[in-house]
Order: sequence, then C-alpha cells, then structure tokens
Amino acid sequence: MISPRTLRNLRKELRSSALAKIGIVLVLAMLLVATLAPFMALHNPTNQNLEENNLPPLGFSRATEETTSEMQNGSLVIKNETVLVNASASHPLGTNSLGQDVYSRAVYGARTSMMVGVLGTLLAAILGVSVGLIAGFYRGRVDDALMRFADISLAFPSLVLAIALIGLWGRAAVDIPDPFVMLGVVDPVRSALGLSTGMPDSFVLPGTVIVVVGLVNWVWFARIARGEALSIREEEYVKAARALGASDLRIIGRHVLPNATTPILVLATIQVAAIILLESSLSFLGFSGTTLSWGFDISQGRAYLSTSWWIATVPGLAIVFAVIGVNLVGDWLRDALDPGIEGEGGV
Amino acid sequence: MSYGRFLLKRGFQGILVVWGVVSIVFMLRFITPGSPVDAVAPLDASAELRQRIAEELGLNQPLYVQYLDYLWALLHGDMGYSYISGIEASQMVFTKLPATVELAVASSLVAITLSIPLGVISATRRHQPADYAATTFSLVGISTPNFWLGIMLVLLLSVEFGLFPTSGRAYGFIEAFRILAAQGVSPGLDALWQWLRHIFLPAVTLGTYFTALITRLTRSGMLEELGQSYVQATRAKGLPESLIRYKHALRNTLIPVITVLGLQLGTLIGGAVITEAVFSWPGLGTTLINAINVRDWPILQATLVVIGCGFVLVNLVVDAVYAYLDPQVVAE
Repeated sequence: MISPRTLRNLRKELRSSALAKIGIVLVLAMLLVATLAPFMALHNPTNQNLEENNLPPLGFSRATEETTSEMQNGSLVIKNETVLVNASASHPLGTNSLGQDVYSRAVYGARTSMMVGVLGTLLAAILGVSVGLIAGFYRGRVDDALMRFADISLAFPSLVLAIALIGLWGRAAVDIPDPFVMLGVVDPVRSALGLSTGMPDSFVLPGTVIVVVGLVNWVWFARIARGEALSIREEEYVKAARALGASDLRIIGRHVLPNATTPILVLATIQVAAIILLESSLSFLGFSGTTLSWGFDISQGRAYLSTSWWIATVPGLAIVFAVIGVNLVGDWLRDALDPGIEGEGGV
Repeated sequence: MSYGRFLLKRGFQGILVVWGVVSIVFMLRFITPGSPVDAVAPLDASAELRQRIAEELGLNQPLYVQYLDYLWALLHGDMGYSYISGIEASQMVFTKLPATVELAVASSLVAITLSIPLGVISATRRHQPADYAATTFSLVGISTPNFWLGIMLVLLLSVEFGLFPTSGRAYGFIEAFRILAAQGVSPGLDALWQWLRHIFLPAVTLGTYFTALITRLTRSGMLEELGQSYVQATRAKGLPESLIRYKHALRNTLIPVITVLGLQLGTLIGGAVITEAVFSWPGLGTTLINAINVRDWPILQATLVVIGCGFVLVNLVVDAVYAYLDPQVVAE
C-alpha cells in the first residue's frame, strides 16, 4: 500500500519543510501526553479543593475583595479589603473554580480529544469509504441513490446534526480502565518522582459522541472514495481481474481500495483536526459524555472570565496547538503525496 | 445543455434533497428513545391522560398517516405549535431567522473582503514577510475553535477595554433602518451604531475561520495559476503584471474557491450555532439548543427544516453562479 516511491516523497518533503517537522513534533507530543497522562499530570484532574480555587498561574496574581467582620468596643465593624491571591508552585497553570488543577485537566483532556478524533475518523472512514467505493464501482442507480443520500446528509451541518442526535439519544459514555493504573505502575513512579498519588483508575470514553461524529462526517470520505473508484474501475488491471473471473468484492477489496488509499489517508488527517474541533464544540455546549474535555473546561472558565482568565485560556491553547499539529501533518502528507484534494470538511 | 435547462435540472434535484431533508427530520422522532408525550404530559400523568395527549398530537395514527399529515401541513407552512410556549413554530423560527442570516452574511462579508486580497498578496510575494504573516494567520485561523476565539475576544476587548458589549443583539439591521425612517436621523444612526457594536465580535468570531480558509485556498490557487503557461504567454505578450494577476490568474483561482465555499456552507451554519451560544445571539442556534434540551419537537423540527432547506437553497445559488462563471460545468 505504501510504495517505496511514496516513502521517498514523504521523506523529501519532510526534509525541505520546517512546518512539517513542527507538525510531527506537535502531534507526537500530544500522543505522548495523552498516552502517559497518569504520569504527566501533577494532580488527579478531578480532585476538588475549594480552599485553593481560582488560583492564578505562576507569575500572576488575582485581586479579590475580602470582607471581614469583628467586634470592636461592642459594635460590629465590617471591613472590605482587597487581597492578592498568589500563585502556587504546585499548580503552575492555576486552578479552576472547584480548585482542580488546570494543567492536569488539560493533560487528561488530550486523551478525550485524541480518542474521539481518531476513533470518530475511523468510523467515518469505514462508513464513507464503503459507501463511496460501492457507488463509484457500480455507478448507475446505486450511485445515484447513494449520492443523493449523501447530498441530503450534507444539508445538515455536522455540528447541528451532532447536537440534535446527542441531545436526543443521550450522552452515553464507557468507562475504560486506565492500563497503567491497572498494571500498578502509576503510584510507585509518581511517589518516586515526588508527585501526589491516586490518579483516576478509569477513563471516560464518550461513546455517543464518537458514534455521532462518525455518522455526521462520513460524507467527505464517500465523495473522495467514489471519485477514486470511478477512475480506478476503468484501469487495465481492473479489467484484467474481471476477465480472470474475480468477484466484485475481490476487485473492490484487492484492487480499488489499495489504489485509493493516498487521498483517503490525507482526508483522514484533515478530518482528525475537524473532529477534534467538533468534539470541543460539542463538549463546550454540554453535549458530551465526559467532563474531562477541553471544550467543557472552556465552558466552565467562561463564567470566571473577568477574574480568572486562565481557566478558559489554557484548554483553548491546548486545542489550538493540537489542531495546528494535525493540520501541519495533513499539509505535509498532501504536499508529498499530491492526491489532488483541497482541505475539505470542517466543524 | 443550455444554462436554463441546467438550472431546471439543479432545481429539480434541489427539490428532491429538500424532500429528503424533511423526511429525515420526520424520522428523527422515531429513532429517538421516549415519546413526545413525555415532553407535554405532567410527570404524574395518568395513563388515560397520556393516551388523550397522544391522540391530541396525532401520535396514535399509523405512521404513514402521520408522515403524510406532516408533509401536507409543511406544504402549507404549518409546522405545529411549541409544546412549551404554544407559539406557532413557523412564526418562532422566522422571527429568529433574520438574526442568524445577519450573522452569517456579516461574517462572510468580513471573510471575503479580507481573505482574497490577503491570499493574492501572499501568493505574489511568496517567501516574503507578508507571505509568512498571511500563512501563519491562516494556519492559526483554521485551527482555532471559534467559540474559544469569541471568548478570548470578549476577554480582551469587552472585559479589559470595554470596547464592545459582551453579548446580545440590540437591534436587527432592518429594525434599525425602520427607526431611521420613523424617528429621524439621530435615533436611527444610534440604532445602526448599536447594531454594529453588537454584531462586530460575533461576526469576527465566526468569520475568522473562513477568512483563514479562503486565504489558504486563494494563495494555493494563485500560485498554481501563476505557474501556468498561459500566464507566461500573457507576460511574454507584454501585458502589465496587474492585469495578468487580477484579470486572468485571480479569476481562474476564484472558481475552485467558490466550490469549496459552497461545500463549507454547512460549517458556516454550524459555526453560527455555536457563535450564537457564546454571545447569547437570539438566532436559530439558540432556539435549536433550547428546543433539544426540552424536547420541544415542533420547534426542533421547524429549526432543522429551515436550516436544511436554507442550505439547499444557498447551494443552488452557488451552483448557478458557478455555472455562470465556468460554462464547462453546464456542458458536463
């Protein structure tokens, strides 16, 4: 599927493009953070501590009005004082309104984004590529019917359809045990590093969100796969296979699909970026199954914008860096493989 | 095929898609757990009362009768009444529609006026500071979630500097002109100014992604066109560079840009929904989210039907413009 020539092109493009290198570094960093979240986080991201809420990040302080009352000479004296809340070294990026560590929540949020981005894209690709290959390979009525259906799906914006489906179906989520915690390696490593122990032993996978983002984004894959199938079916090798008596399924699986992988791969990369943005929008609006998500944290931070700007700012920056990374990798693949598609799909 | 026949064919396809949209919206209720009765009936309703409500809503009819009733009512512009407020759904949706259309049009205008010059400058000054600035902007622009951008703009421009209101929509655009006509210049201009102040941040929030996207497309399209042999030929002929750039290269670049814009229309509407949520903009998006949360089926269906049909309609217009600019499309 990946020919030596393709690899050569990828390497050549990577050597000449600084942006491609930045993209790969960002994506690898994010994958690393998402995978090793129990080791990277400073605190359990769900632990609340109302004594230490809205702590500013290192280098900043927060002014707050404090009211004290005391009895003086038999009468009550109420004093309003402006007090400065200082940053704490154990919360380098501050805490939110519940006293949860903003940095640790951003680390765990990477897991949600990556899981939804990758699994959602996979589902969309499986659905879309199947439909597209069948439509393009058989042409005629099948093609007309499937592509009209694609037109209809396209008439509902992804976000609108996703909100409707999740709002109506509910926000089902699956608890997945954290493999590192199960293996019992997290607490010893964290103690050795001098970090607090007791990380979450499971990870919430927002199942409905994954299914829905897959369902609302299949069309882009169908369009690309159909276009490829339409041209590949006219190739000599397909005609030869047919003359040899190969079944349709075999021709599609062995000849059409492998020759259509390049544009599908490029589209999939762009879609991961689009789905990360879509997931963050959904969780921002409260249509998600998990509270460990960048979008959710931004919606929480919004209420404290005038006093504690960091709560909404930090997860937003995390999204921007992650999506920039994926987009740069997408650009690299597109430029190196030149499948002739422009950036389709979005939130 | 003539241009007229092309439009007819597209129009017919559009009607088919609208029928599909309407049918999917109808089906949505049957792939959803629970019954609309739950949204209407009190929690302690007796089985008898629930039965009466179901009858009232026509839910005891066979499916095809419900479907035909729904289609028939829809053809007459009747989308039912809100379960919650009792307001006619069509009236509710059409009073909210202008706010969303205003927002979408304003951000498209922002995007188009900024991005095409930016893309051209970027392509014609390749590897110069202006190009690097434009490509960086467009990369960050397509990678930033618009709701977060909106919040950051509020934080900087509204909370810190008090330049813009944080949310809401004082007047509609048309309403402001009505005030101008009815109450004279001073209150009219004031209303327009308030309109502008309120729409500015939402329009920038929604428009940034598109500005970035079109800048990218224009840049790569221009670079490709400028490398074509016809450009070299016109250059050899001695045509001024500006004529080559704007009359020939840009015109050919805009054709694929328009295609992508048509495809991205859904992104614009989806973006409007979330932008409305950030700025409490009283449009279709806010209506949709409220309707979903309380299972107000008539409003939910009406909103989805209007969004879906609006999408089909605008796409038809895009197709018509596209075919006009590029006659090859008609021939195919």
